[in-house]
Amino acid sequence: MLLQQLINGLSIGMIYALIALGYTMVYGILKIVNFAHGDIYMMGSFFGLFFMKELHMPLYLAFIFSAVSAAILGMIIERTAYRPLRKADRIVPLISALGVSTFLISLAQLLWGTEMHPFPTAFGSKTYAVGSVTFSEIQILIFILSFVLMFGLHLFVTRTKVGTALRATSMNLTNAALMGINTNRMISLTFGLGSALAAVAGILVGIYYNAVYPNMGYMAGINAFTAAVLGGIGSIPGAMLGGVLLGLVETLAGAYISTQYKGVISFSILIIVLLIRPSGILGKKDINKV
Amino acid sequence: MKRTIGSIALSALLAGAVAGCAAGGGGTQGGSESIRIGLAAPISGTQAQYGESFKNGAQLAAAQINEAGGIEGKNVEIIIHDDKGDSNEAVNVANKLASDRSILAVVGHFNSSATLATAPVYNKNKIVQISPSSSAPAVTDAGEYTFRVITTDAFQADYLADWSAELGYKKVALIYEQSDFGLGLLDVYQESAKKHNIEIVGAEAYNPGDKEFSIILTKLKEQQPEAIFIGGFYNEAALIAQQAERLNLKADFIGVDSLYSEALLSLGGESVNGLKLIGFFYPGGDNEKATAFAEEYQAAYNSKPDTYAAYAYVATAVVLEAIKEKGADRESIKTYLETLEGFEGPTGVISFDENGDVLTVPSRLTIQDGEFQLYQ
Repeated sequence: MLLQQLINGLSIGMIYALIALGYTMVYGILKIVNFAHGDIYMMGSFFGLFFMKELHMPLYLAFIFSAVSAAILGMIIERTAYRPLRKADRIVPLISALGVSTFLISLAQLLWGTEMHPFPTAFGSKTYAVGSVTFSEIQILIFILSFVLMFGLHLFVTRTKVGTALRATSMNLTNAALMGINTNRMISLTFGLGSALAAVAGILVGIYYNAVYPNMGYMAGINAFTAAVLGGIGSIPGAMLGGVLLGLVETLAGAYISTQYKGVISFSILIIVLLIRPSGILGKKDINKV
Repeated sequence: MKRTIGSIALSALLAGAVAGCAAGGGGTQGGSESIRIGLAAPISGTQAQYGESFKNGAQLAAAQINEAGGIEGKNVEIIIHDDKGDSNEAVNVANKLASDRSILAVVGHFNSSATLATAPVYNKNKIVQISPSSSAPAVTDAGEYTFRVITTDAFQADYLADWSAELGYKKVALIYEQSDFGLGLLDVYQESAKKHNIEIVGAEAYNPGDKEFSIILTKLKEQQPEAIFIGGFYNEAALIAQQAERLNLKADFIGVDSLYSEALLSLGGESVNGLKLIGFFYPGGDNEKATAFAEEYQAAYNSKPDTYAAYAYVATAVVLEAIKEKGADRESIKTYLETLEGFEGPTGVISFDENGDVLTVPSRLTIQDGEFQLYQ
């Protein structure tokens, strides 16, 4: 049973990690929490549904197109809701983020209705049994795709010129601008990348649970945000670690204690970690910015 | 250019905000000439889809009366308020509706927790509250102005335990929603199962809106239950059945009438085949009213009604019947409902007992080839 629960936990954890990356990257660069991020993930899931159901695209194309659409959406949101407020007090973009979140949920309800939609693909339900442990096609896809994307992001940020510029911007916005980096473009890129990853997570979850609906971003957003904080907000490897850790803790708490208390247990662990290491497991020491 | 984009987004946000208000207010500007009935439902929030069914069902009942010339020449108007499925918000909505003297009765609320929270408000203001869907046993004692058109969970769970025994189950596991609704089902089912010597091999709760069931299913798989009783709603039931299939968990599923919805079929796919449930609303069976309602609903909204649309329709129709018979007055609606017997509607023939609970007999249903069918 333990092995099966670990597989369950890892699948959820990988998804949390993918979404958490968006929170952590935006925080790293702008020091704001983009509370609309969970709803971008929801929109990404609906985009995937739309491309497959209305335009009859195969699954892999739906991944690409909805990632691109979500990236554009993320960049538009940054332009309209955050950029005009960049010089304002930090509480202002927070309120603006909540506004965007409500706007996106209402928009999805208007466009697609309030009900749950099944994901129109036969892929994913096939299962493989090894001894008493079973895992499904979609779980395998979640592992592979999440790993490839996270590894790719890591390479992009650490090994490319643009990645270096991105890191410079996140270290110090003003100084990076003085070095000739177009920081606005870097911020746009951050939103775009984060949103694209969220859209991929949205489709994976859509297939995993066979359910897409306007409110799906809320809990996923909270969990992913928690994962980002747990790992150390602002740190990309931290978000990955935090996501996987949260998924595992939640699952094991549910399995061996009680599913009713899995939220209580995972948030208690968050509090304990923050008491011992206020900047999260892999976070940097200086947290004066909060 | 930057400014244009900004102002477009701003005006879009504003438009959204205005639209939100309009939905919340529900056209309060209607003239005093109309018959005004309140509808308190989760129009937004995690239970929004059930609120949508409520709205459609109630409005269909009103539209049918209006098409036939209204009640004594007056049109019926449904005043919709959004309780977001949240008990606190529900009390605010209840205060608004109860203090508006032009509202004659309130159809609502959706979940039992909201109905229980608002019952004192309606009872204090002496206005009938008729819930289409709140089936928690506690609603029985909520007050003399609180009615419902759904049977109690106690009745349903008891009925299902009897049925489980007839099906020959010896080991049953329970998955229930962590709410007044789910806990009510759990208690009664466990109690009745004991009488039938059915062993309860596990009971696991989930929070409304949960999507991840493989954790509890992996746990229950160890106990090898013959059947799993689902005390929850159709969305979760579909996910439970699907995730059980992925985990290779072979057990029958049995559940309450809240599972009756096209969504269970479309979300659950093949995994829900063989699921057994009871239903009060079953079009295509012996109940002609149910079949007629399903057709009219389809014509009006281009979708199939679920159980909640049918219940909301019945709740509204009963109130309108009361007004037709006894006049447009809060108190006489209550006296009429107390003595109502044998009202035929899409959810069967209903009568109220002295507690404002409804008495009716369900059909036994199962899913075969992706369709609801009578269980033979």
